[in-house]
Formats: sequence, C-alpha cells, structure tokens
Amino acid sequence: MLHSRFGDTGEIPNCTGARARPPQRTATDRGLALAEFVLPGMIALNGITKSYNGRPALRGISTAVDRGEFIYLTGPSGAGKSTFLRLLYRAELPDSGVIMVNGADLMMMRRREVAEFRRRLGVVFQDFKLLRRRTVGENVTFVLSLLNLPDREQQRRAYLVLKQMGLQHRMHAYPDELSGGEQQRVAIARALVLQPDLILADEPSGNLDPERSHELLELLKTINYQGTTVVVATHDRTLIEAHPARTLFLEHGRVVRDAWVTAP
Amino acid sequence: MNRHAWQEIKRQLRESGAAGIVAVVLVAVASAWGGILWTVHSWVQTELLAGNRPATVVAIARGPAEAAALHDAIRANMPGVATATLAPRKVQEELASWFPELATVLLTLDERSFPPLVEVEVTAAQEETLVPWLQARPEVTLVESSRAWQSRLEHTVSRFLIAGFALALALLVGCGVVVLLVVRLLVLAHADEIAIMRLIGAHEGDIRRPYLFCGSLLGATGGVLGASILVGLEVALRGMLPTLEVSSWVLGGLPFGGALAGVAGAAFGLASLPSEP
Ligand SMILES: Nc1ncnc2c1ncn2[C@@H]1O[C@H](COP(=O)(O)OP(=O)(O)OP(=O)(O)O)[C@@H](O)[C@H]1O
Ligand SMILES: [Mg+2]
Repeated sequence: MLHSRFGDTGEIPNCTGARARPPQRTATDRGLALAEFVLPGMIALNGITKSYNGRPALRGISTAVDRGEFIYLTGPSGAGKSTFLRLLYRAELPDSGVIMVNGADLMMMRRREVAEFRRRLGVVFQDFKLLRRRTVGENVTFVLSLLNLPDREQQRRAYLVLKQMGLQHRMHAYPDELSGGEQQRVAIARALVLQPDLILADEPSGNLDPERSHELLELLKTINYQGTTVVVATHDRTLIEAHPARTLFLEHGRVVRDAWVTAP
Repeated sequence: MNRHAWQEIKRQLRESGAAGIVAVVLVAVASAWGGILWTVHSWVQTELLAGNRPATVVAIARGPAEAAALHDAIRANMPGVATATLAPRKVQEELASWFPELATVLLTLDERSFPPLVEVEVTAAQEETLVPWLQARPEVTLVESSRAWQSRLEHTVSRFLIAGFALALALLVGCGVVVLLVVRLLVLAHADEIAIMRLIGAHEGDIRRPYLFCGSLLGATGGVLGASILVGLEVALRGMLPTLEVSSWVLGGLPFGGALAGVAGAAFGLASLPSEP
C-alpha cells in the first residue's frame, strides 16, 4: 500500500513519547536523524515537541509523508492538529526534533528562504486569514503577484479557480461581505491558485455544508491524483469515511494511530 | 512594483488621513523655509557681497590743501581710477540730502565743521593696496572703505544663515519623525495583515516597499508644495526685488529632500514591525 508508511495495522513504531535529546544537537546526530527518512519524501518529522507556556501541545511526533500522498490528520479538539500544520508551514518552530518539508530543513532555513518555501505551499488556514482590505479577486491574485506573473495571467488564473469554488461573481466583494463558507472557499481558492507542491488544509470544510464539503474533498482528491501532496486536518469522521485515505490520529499531542481508514 | 503594490500605496495614503496631511504640511513648511534661506543666501552673495563689486574708498583729509595734494598723489599713483574731491561745503550739502530730516540742522552749521573728502572708485583688487597706502599718508586722518561694511554684513548674514539652516534641518528631522509616526500607525493597524502576507509567501521587501514608498510620497508632496510656495513668493516679490531668483536646483531639490526625509522616517517606522520566528 503506497499510502501508508507503517502498514494498515494501526501500529506505529517509535511515535509516542518524547525521546530525551541533548540540548545541543551535533552535526552527526542531525545527519543520522535526517537519514532515517527517505529523502524524496514530502514531509519528515522526527521527535517533534512543542509546548506553549510549559503546556505541551505536541509530544514527540515522528512520521513521514511521501510525495503525492493524501493524508488526514484527525483527533479531538485541542489534540494538536493545527499546531502540527503550523510547524509544517514554519509559522512556528518546534522546541526539539527535526522537521523536513519539501526538501527543506525548516530549523536550518534562513529568513530569506522562508518566503520562497511558503510560495511552494498552499495553506488553507482554520481561521481563513484573508486580507480584509483587499477584494476576493485581489486576495487570490496577491499570491500570484508575488511570482511576478503578468496582470492578465493573474486575473485569468484567479477567475478560473474562483469559478471552481463557485465564487466568480464575488470577485469584487470584500471578505467581510461574505458568509463564513464563502470566505472559506476564497481561502481554498488562494491555496490552490499557485498549483503548489503541497497543500495543507486546516478544517477546510469547517464552514461548508455537507454537499460542498464532499465537493471540496473530491476536488482535493483530483488535485492529489495530479501529483500534489495533500494534508487535511479535520475532525469530521464522516468525511474521512466517505473519501478514505491514510489517517493520522492525534490525541494529546501524540500520534496514537496511523492507518488507512475505510468506509464502515 | 506591481499593481498590488500600487494599490496598497493608494490605500495607505488614504488611510494615513489627517496624520498624513500634517506630515505633508510640515514638509512643505520646512522645505519652503529651507528654499527661502537658500535663495536669500545666494541673492546676498551675488548682489551684496560679490567679491568683484567695485569698492568706494573715502579718505578724510586734514584740510582743503591736503585734499588737493592727496588727489594729485592718487592720480599719479593709480592713473585711470575715478577720483573726486568733495569740498566741505559739498560734503555738508551731500549729508543734508542724505538725511533730509536733519537737513536744517546740518545746513545751519559752519561749513568748516565738515572735512574735505577724497572719494576713489576702485576695483576689489585695487582697494587692497589703496587702503594701507592712504592710511600711511600724512594728509589723511581717516580712511573708510565700502568693503569694510561688506565684510561686517557678510559676518552678520552668515550667522543668521547658520541659525536658519539649523532650524530648517530641525524641521526636516521633525518631518521625518511625523512620517515615522504615520507609518508606525499604519503598521500597527495592519499587523494582522502583514502576518498573513508573510504566511502566504511575501518577502520582507514585498511588505515594506509600499510603506517606504508611501513615506517618500508624503515627503515629496510636501517638497513640491514647498517649491510652489517658493515660486509664489518669487512672483510676489518680483516688483520689489527684480534680481531675486529661485534657482531650479532648489526647486528640484526640495521634493527630493522631502522624499528622502519621508523614506528615512518610514524606514524607522518599519522598525516596529515584528519579525519571523
Ligand atoms: N498560540 C498558542 N498559545 C498557547 N497555547 C496554544 C497556542 N496554540 C495552540 N495552543 C494549545 O495547544 C493545544 C493544541 O492546539 P491546536 O490548535 O493544535 O488543536 P487542534 O487539534 O487544532 O484543535 P481544533 O480541532 O479545536 O482546531 C491546545 O491545548 C491549545 O490550547
Ligand atoms: Mg485546529
């Protein structure tokens, strides 16, 4: 089975419990840690811990995601799904551990490289993070303008992706004039428009009705078949069962199960 | 600079509102003041203090006979210079014509209370040798040269100008500080948006450039206004001071200086931007 690194048994070797690490990693230590993972992989985490004000949010996460994989991240509220994703797009750095995404070592990355790195990702944020002072169209073309694409091309691509989201008629509206679901679809459009290597979606269906949720999952699956790696954080069990894929179960900051979920 | 950046600059200019207007006005006042000083400075230099302006040297003689002897000696020593001897009576009349309110008093005095004068028109170079030569002559009691008051004027004017330029500089720094505050307010208001822009892959440059440009536009607008004030003053004063002229360097330099102060202010204002982890 291509999609599950650890088989379908739900057994996870060496995933739980933060491994005690020396405060200063040596070069060999780091090299060995990285060598544990197949280099062409999309995501590789080893011994990741992260706490906020002394309260651990992630406690020793080790896992790997291949290029072209589709995985779900699920678990109860507060399990650490969003924290996990934030580490992947380097909004935050882990307290310890090694984290490789799309061929880059996030801990070693220089500031200047962060922007370039993020331009290869499409992130759907749980709270959308739309630019309030810009229209729907501008929100989508903004990321394209960072690549210095010609105006006409920006407009064309934005129109196509917004049409896909059923929002082509709201191009000139401001985010505050949209419903929650519409804002969410703009956020999705913005993540897709760059045709990224990796899509990280945090509860992308949180504000959508069931029908639109399923459409979105179909879309993400289609994009995934075309080669894009997709990570979806969701607590919607029915959605996972309707569109089965490898699923990481998080609880209290630990991966408690890594399995292919199938329809009941 | 792409379309998004231009639109962002437009939005920022709109949002800077009253504070932005204050910045523009302050830059206009500072640059107009600096321009006025510079223009006055150049005018004083070329019109009043020019080194090659002909000088008038006046020697007061002990008596009419000495005046005549002095006149001849100057003629012999410096052929070709314009020399005139003013008899006491003439000196009396001349003084009376200069100070009409004292004329009655002056004209009732005995003409012998006035000394005879020898007046010499020379070039700046000739003046330098003439004055010590005259001072050494036995016929002469006192020598006055127009270059003496020129240098006194120069001294006074330069002091005023130094104080004036210091004030202009202080105003310009003030402008920078106002732009700094404007940009800082904008950055604070946009903190969330800036964080989002970073998360979706904007470089620091993509984020900062519009603010820097906004600051420089505020400064440049103030500079253009200052230059217009200067041109207005020039036109208004043309009747009184026909030789007063604002140089095109000054007119071009003011918007540039304003823009520079604006960019500097904006750069300091952006220092409050929180950075990536
Ligand atoms: N910025 C923060 N400061 C302090 N604590 C935080 C912060 N972000 C997350 N946490 C804590 O970390 C834990 C994991 O949070 P996280 O947002 O990752 O959960 P989640 O699985 O995404 O939950 P949900 O399903 O509700 O979105 C929670 O206990 C949360 O309170
Ligand atoms: Mg979350």
